[in-house]
Amino acid sequence: MKTKLSLISAAILGASLTLGTLPAHASLPVAVDGQQLPSLAPMLEQTTPAVVSVAVSGTQVSKQRVPDVFRYFFGPNAPQEQVRERPFRGLGSGVIIDADKGYIVTNNHVIDGADTIQIGLLDGREFEAKLIGTDSESDIALLQIKADKLTAIKSADSDAIHVGDFAVAIGNPFGLGQTVTSGIVSALGRSGLGIEMLENFIQTDAAINSGNSGGALVNLRGELIGINTAIVAPGGGNVGIGFAIPANMMHSLVDQIIEHGEVRRGVLGISGRELDSKLAEGFGLDSQHGAFVNEVMPGSAAEKAGIKAGDIIVSINGRKIKSFQELRAKVGTQGAGSEVELGLIRDGKDKAVKVTLGEASEQTAAADELHPQLAGAKLESGSNGIEITDVQEGSPAALSGLRKGDIIVGVNRTPVKDLKALKEQLKEQDGAAALKILRDKSLRYLVLR
Amino acid sequence: MKSTLLYLGKAVLFGLVMAAVFLLAQQYLVKDHDNLYRSHGEGTVELSFAKAVRKAAPAVANIYNISIDQRQPLASGALQGLGSGVIMSKEGYILTNYHVIKKADEIVIALQDGRRFSAEVVGSDPETDLSVLKIDGDKLPVVPLNLNSLPQVGDVVLAIGNPYNLGQTITQGIISATGRNGLSSGYQDFLQTDAAINAGNSGGALIDTSGDLIGINTAAFQIGGGGGSNGISFAIPIRLAYSIMGKLIENGRVIRGALGISGEAVTAYMAQVLKLPEVQGVLITGVDRSGPAAAANLLPRDVIIEYAAETVTSSEMLMDRIAETKPGTEVIMTVIRQGQPYKVPVIVGEKVAEYN
Repeated sequence: MKTKLSLISAAILGASLTLGTLPAHASLPVAVDGQQLPSLAPMLEQTTPAVVSVAVSGTQVSKQRVPDVFRYFFGPNAPQEQVRERPFRGLGSGVIIDADKGYIVTNNHVIDGADTIQIGLLDGREFEAKLIGTDSESDIALLQIKADKLTAIKSADSDAIHVGDFAVAIGNPFGLGQTVTSGIVSALGRSGLGIEMLENFIQTDAAINSGNSGGALVNLRGELIGINTAIVAPGGGNVGIGFAIPANMMHSLVDQIIEHGEVRRGVLGISGRELDSKLAEGFGLDSQHGAFVNEVMPGSAAEKAGIKAGDIIVSINGRKIKSFQELRAKVGTQGAGSEVELGLIRDGKDKAVKVTLGEASEQTAAADELHPQLAGAKLESGSNGIEITDVQEGSPAALSGLRKGDIIVGVNRTPVKDLKALKEQLKEQDGAAALKILRDKSLRYLVLR
Repeated sequence: MKSTLLYLGKAVLFGLVMAAVFLLAQQYLVKDHDNLYRSHGEGTVELSFAKAVRKAAPAVANIYNISIDQRQPLASGALQGLGSGVIMSKEGYILTNYHVIKKADEIVIALQDGRRFSAEVVGSDPETDLSVLKIDGDKLPVVPLNLNSLPQVGDVVLAIGNPYNLGQTITQGIISATGRNGLSSGYQDFLQTDAAINAGNSGGALIDTSGDLIGINTAAFQIGGGGGSNGISFAIPIRLAYSIMGKLIENGRVIRGALGISGEAVTAYMAQVLKLPEVQGVLITGVDRSGPAAAANLLPRDVIIEYAAETVTSSEMLMDRIAETKPGTEVIMTVIRQGQPYKVPVIVGEKVAEYN
């Protein structure tokens, strides 16, 4: 009798043990008959209060200049420059990243040109926000509100996510109110889209629409993996192709904004290209992920660290990089003066170097800030002068006669060597300036009005 | 005493059976989870399709066209993104959509590892919008496939392709419907999905959560114009695509039988007017004058109720049977004309493909 009892208890124990291991799986969101259906609700309850709506209003100033051709035609009677002011309103989203300090991250394009920024919390409270700093090249802005009982979002390591991971977008599309959409990570390290200057996007198929900008892309644990920023939208709305700025990149930018009030972009001082199959074959490499160094600028951070032309950069701070664009975005979002460790392949051997990044402003500049007639040109400091690396068709720069490949060597009679000198000279001239240009090995002057 | 023993014995048996059931169920569940969950080093478990993506994604290639610039015919052409293709075998056979490659001058296949190959067209079937390409390369990634899997409405699927030539993109959704046909021709038997499929995804893979290929995405049939994916996209089921691929590799084309008739399924009203014994069969509405049906003296208003001793249950079924018949075969059909059934021998012809 006793043995039978023990048999029963053994059987029950066995059954309950196997049963006991089941709930661990049963609680996972899989739809199985009679078991809990999947829902993101418990995660969202913790996460959604950290996502806010951002309402902006301001005045858009547009200047209408009479084109030079007509100015010539009209002679001295040419109409004056017309300045039009148009009030605008905009809606977007933001993410609370620090509850005590009231820091909110959003996109630069959400708050660009705004006079007032109003934050709406999920609990209905509204606050006026102060702009702490913004960075147009990476499209990140930091705001601050004075409020208590805020909920901050936790951040995930966005370098550790995989294509195929679930992703949930939280934002305020079309100003409808907070909206949650789900999808997966469709691709990583997306660049070359021409949306921002520095691109290293997470691509997702979670529905992102106008108004989602600045909102959160989170993982299934409710941790921030990205800031939703842009979409491919042939018909205006979502087609399942959205882009988010990785959380790690955002934090690196925000840290700089908190510290300096602006982003002090770091530079390596190299020019390079994507590692393609032919290059990889030529260098006897298995992998085609990396950035090939074409040229190292004299006196740059890269030269000081001993990087040489022909090196292949394969990692930054222990994280593998896929492309030159990714390296550019990662370096560009690290602060100037910060130290990074780069993994290199030189002569087929792995090598690691530590680089203290230089200041970016000396290498490239926003052309229209230098002179309105330079708008549409891309400038880069080279060894001989300032090279025009690109000119947009029909832009003021193109109409002024600038061409791709031109090298600016002087302003009026003063030689300029780099962008800093060019900026100073143009500032001094205040208006009309003659650029001394090297084109096809001959020198000529172009007059900017 | 005996009854207590019996009672206890039953309890023991029940306990053991339950234990066995749960063990089996757990095994099944855990196996299923392997496809969905990625284990982290810390022992936590996360929901992700990363494993399925890693299995299938390398075998989905980008298809480019080297367009010959009319203005600069001597300059090396620029690569123009056309769509996607799926590497089906080590020999380098690639399945894609016919519409992806039909206007290409010279086809270039780009693998995800960066390798590029020029491809030749093995054969095309405009009827199903499928083409087979071939490349020569070592260690080609091949997509895993399961020809026996039958996708069901509600199954989670992933689409892999190169939308708008952005680079490889994975999108997720479910099977919204199966057996969607009549979209372009009777031969397709589309899977419908809400996974985002856009221009450039065409010819790419639709996979299940194990990473097995279940369909070839076809973005050409967008509902609601050219605005891109709106939650209604289509894929050609792998069983159909695979059988077409075999035929294209064997013959360079898909040989289909044809009778040279047009017809429609008999409705209750038609059955009454035509004095049919049953609401069944296919009414001939048109006969191609030079076709096999005309040679067999078939006329409009005839109703086909049997094809090769098989009862005709629908017009799709009849179309399938005719298409599957080898051209040149004599087939006996039962036809009702003026209320009278009679048997007609027909020699099936070959359907002419239209490479539009």
